[in-house]
Amino acid sequence: MVNNNSLSGVLLDDVALTLDELARAVEVEPDWVVRHVRAGTLGGETTVQITSWRFRSGDLVRARRLLRVERDFDANEDLAGLVVDLGDEIRRLRARLHALGLD
Amino acid sequence: MEYKDYYAALGVEKTASQDEIKKAYRKLVRQYHPDVSKHKDATEKTKEINEAYEVLGDAEKRAAYDELGQGRRAGQEFTPPPDWGTQFDFGGADANDFFSDLFAHAGRRSGRGGARGFGGAGGGGGFQMRGEDIHAAIAIDLRDAYQGASRTISLRVPQHDEQGRVTMQDKTLSVNIPKGVTPGQQLRLARQGHPGAGGGGPGDLYLEIQLEPDARYRVEGTHVYENVPVAPWEAALGASVSVPTPSGAVEVTIPPGSQSGRKLRLKGRGIPAKEPGDLYLILDVVLPPASTERAKELYQQMARDLAFNPRERIGA
Repeated sequence: MVNNNSLSGVLLDDVALTLDELARAVEVEPDWVVRHVRAGTLGGETTVQITSWRFRSGDLVRARRLLRVERDFDANEDLAGLVVDLGDEIRRLRARLHALGLD
Repeated sequence: MEYKDYYAALGVEKTASQDEIKKAYRKLVRQYHPDVSKHKDATEKTKEINEAYEVLGDAEKRAAYDELGQGRRAGQEFTPPPDWGTQFDFGGADANDFFSDLFAHAGRRSGRGGARGFGGAGGGGGFQMRGEDIHAAIAIDLRDAYQGASRTISLRVPQHDEQGRVTMQDKTLSVNIPKGVTPGQQLRLARQGHPGAGGGGPGDLYLEIQLEPDARYRVEGTHVYENVPVAPWEAALGASVSVPTPSGAVEVTIPPGSQSGRKLRLKGRGIPAKEPGDLYLILDVVLPPASTERAKELYQQMARDLAFNPRERIGA
């Protein structure tokens, strides 16, 4: 069976995710998100009050990467944060090289 | 469907211990990680490794896979027996992998919830569970990012039939991509994820925006870069040239005394996001070929008259 629908989504940078929504999208318990935000490895621009935390595209991508490192290598949140930071930096530098036509 | 040999994907024997499987997986992940690997097929290989480990790294899933895979070879066509898999309950796996196909064919009920992990989320007895979210990527052209676009995507998702059984089905969606999206942004399509169980609502579909490689333009965030070939006299004397850009041709003033690599910024002509990016034109001075007598004569005249030493800075 094939369904044909025309759909318009919302960009997470226009309508951000709540704590529970992010946890659901990453398939973790909300505690996992809280732990990472408190460790400073996720949600750099979120506020102090948990009830008002909002997460955007970059947070969702980062949370999925953090989870992957934790799960694959039994890493704690600090080590996972470091690995994801290094990966982000590699991607940023590669994008920079590519933008300048130097790759 | 074709049988996939997950043991071969991880390079381990069928008798390997869970610890050996984990070690093999970690080694391959490091080897093929797209951020560090030079292999051309690193992304595809990583996907294959991850899919294999999703199953073999979980003792219960591995047992189910082993039961079905006895005597089978990779690539071999087969159909699981109709009552196969009813004793297992793993909830939904990723929509497009071999293992989830197996369980869909086995007709088990879906019902994995928001918590990470598998099992324990069957769909009956008044138990209500929202469906899983689905994560996928959608590739668009740079021009689509400038203008917005509509794209048709196909997903394999579990669907409940009238008897409440779950089968994997192709679902085609026409998705409107808003103008001004940038690579890495997530587009959330509400209620387009996996179906819920026991009356729970469906999950959401998250689409990550990716840009198709472009021969002319390069993108960094919201900024766009474009090389612009110019003649030596245009660079030296200055000129007004017409340059094609993602938002249409523009007349650009080349300042006199420009060199190759000089960047001209056209403010606000990058990707039209909420905070629009800039378009950077990188000048690329192109020499006319000295392929005719007249061209050679002109180059010789410049050599005589200009007394130009391009290696002055390196002390030559």
